[in-house]
Amino acid sequence: MAEEQEKKQPEKPELKDMSAICPIGEVLVIAEHILGDLQPVTLELLGAGRILADKMGQPLLCLVMGHELGDMPQRLLDHGADRVYVADHPELKNYRTLPYRRVVCDFLESLPSQPHTCLLGSTTTGRDLAPRIAAHFDTGLTADTTELDIGPYEHTSKVDPSKIGLYPNCLYAIRPSFGESLKARILGPWKNPQMATTRPGVMVPLPRESRKGEIINIPVNLQETDHRLTVKEIVREVAKGVNLTEADVIVAGGYGLGTQDGFNMLQELAGCFENSAVGASRKVVDLGWIPYQNQVGQTGKTVRPKLYIACGISGAIQHRVGMSKSSLIIAINKDPDAPIFKFAHHGIVGDCYQIIPEMIKQFKQAQSTSGVKEVVGTH
Amino acid sequence: MASGYKIIVMVKQVPDTGSKAGLNPDGTIDRARAKRMLNPFDKFALQAALHTKKMYGGSVTAISMGPPPAVEILLEALEHGVDRGFLLSDRRLAASDTLATAYALYKTIQYVGDFDIIFCGLQTTDGDTAQVGPQLAERLNLPQVTYCEDFSVQNGEVHARRIIEGGHQTVIAKPPLLVTIANSYHPLEYKSFRGAWRVQQLQRKQEELAQYIKTVTLDDVGADPERCGLKGSPTIVAKTEKVGELGGSCSIHEGKAVDELVKEVITGCNVKEFLAAGKK
Repeated sequence: MAEEQEKKQPEKPELKDMSAICPIGEVLVIAEHILGDLQPVTLELLGAGRILADKMGQPLLCLVMGHELGDMPQRLLDHGADRVYVADHPELKNYRTLPYRRVVCDFLESLPSQPHTCLLGSTTTGRDLAPRIAAHFDTGLTADTTELDIGPYEHTSKVDPSKIGLYPNCLYAIRPSFGESLKARILGPWKNPQMATTRPGVMVPLPRESRKGEIINIPVNLQETDHRLTVKEIVREVAKGVNLTEADVIVAGGYGLGTQDGFNMLQELAGCFENSAVGASRKVVDLGWIPYQNQVGQTGKTVRPKLYIACGISGAIQHRVGMSKSSLIIAINKDPDAPIFKFAHHGIVGDCYQIIPEMIKQFKQAQSTSGVKEVVGTH
Repeated sequence: MASGYKIIVMVKQVPDTGSKAGLNPDGTIDRARAKRMLNPFDKFALQAALHTKKMYGGSVTAISMGPPPAVEILLEALEHGVDRGFLLSDRRLAASDTLATAYALYKTIQYVGDFDIIFCGLQTTDGDTAQVGPQLAERLNLPQVTYCEDFSVQNGEVHARRIIEGGHQTVIAKPPLLVTIANSYHPLEYKSFRGAWRVQQLQRKQEELAQYIKTVTLDDVGADPERCGLKGSPTIVAKTEKVGELGGSCSIHEGKAVDELVKEVITGCNVKEFLAAGKK
């Protein structure tokens, strides 16, 4: 091993130090709120951003846009930001692509040097805004990351010789890769800010504690063309049944159910449990069997219930990243080789249409006997 | 035919990850062997485009980027009632990331001409980024509606409902604009017999088909090759690693009567803890 290295080293061209291209710098988190409620993902990003900033010995910045934000800037400091930039304007009260885009771009252009990293939530807001900023600055953006880190990268590809070199401090944006059981580490060290959106529910926020930091108001200069779209109304949907991310028990269905009607059976099974909800894999959402709001997985929701019953779900990586942290996973699938049996706790090989009705029957029996027990107990 | 909207719908051919054909044993895609399909999200975008044309008049142009076989999805779009299609196909586009893709498509749209509304699928199933739509809107300096699940035009204004966390919002904008359609939009209607028949006839006469589907290169659309492909992409996949197999401690229950299997599982773990109180 050592010999090999000795042999190789002289051949290896000395890699140019590219730290001037991608210097270390601040980490910027762009905050997100809906109708005045700070979104949890922002606090998660501050937690993740803090780690990255500390690795580089750099400050953590947060930009919040809105109107009459109350104690929100202070909360952002309390959760880990060193400096909070506030853009306050009546037109920024609710998120709209173009005004928010204007403020972020103007803000970044006003800085003497670009932040090293810029993070947004992988939400309907972050995924709407981040690509526009990345396109405006011609910088790289990685979607839907599940891990972030800072580290070196040796670029040796000869496609563009001017890029060959050692980049000492790159943002590692890590995400499960499409349709494959792979994790991809995506880099874009050629230009700061290196951008990423991050899945809600993955990063860990810092506890709120009284921290000191700076709150800085920044100017807002919107232009006529920023008002080409108006928001008529914002509706909070009172969740029908239990919200997926808050459920203790999730009964989820996949393509293996064969038909949309299978979900009636799952609904009945879910009904046996306290605080339960029905989930689904992406394929059946794509097919229109069940609404998008019920989707669990990489492009749906990340859940960690106490019990997850997966019915006719093969367990591809995209689904797994959304539910593998459930405390107890029971899988039912006809195919004994289905990947879900590799990470479920209990697997039943069989037909959902035989197993699930039997489960419902046995659960109902258990419920009624526990009812009897109660009567006995009061005896 | 001057009235109505000039509608563009962006479509992409993706590997069919649902079928086992073309999947390597380690779970990676063998793109040469994999079955191909129209990106499922684009079907909703196609429906939105065709419905808009049906309601308010106009024409629908489908635009795609990809290797030559991607012409299949343009034929499929034609069968569904799209008026014409353009395929941007060029080897120099290989390994384009979202930014480079958005640039190349932006040049293609400029080449195709005037438009009022651009529909895109929310995202593709092979990239999963949802970035190309907004990046295209940025290049074209357009307002955008992402995560759209309902769309109509009233008095020349677009009314669109978009999903947000825990609810939805309704937005209003005047064309031109770009809309990305979520999979909670109406599913694509079946193609008509007439549409399928027409395309079948066209395929017999290549010269005639060429009037409806045109394949163009970077040179045709005037795109700078330096801004496309690997060279024009600010991100690279530096490393992939197999996701370790989790647990491996799954208790498998099989080969018994159904009631036995269920009983085994129920007694094997604490499922009963979560049961709702008995109703009686």
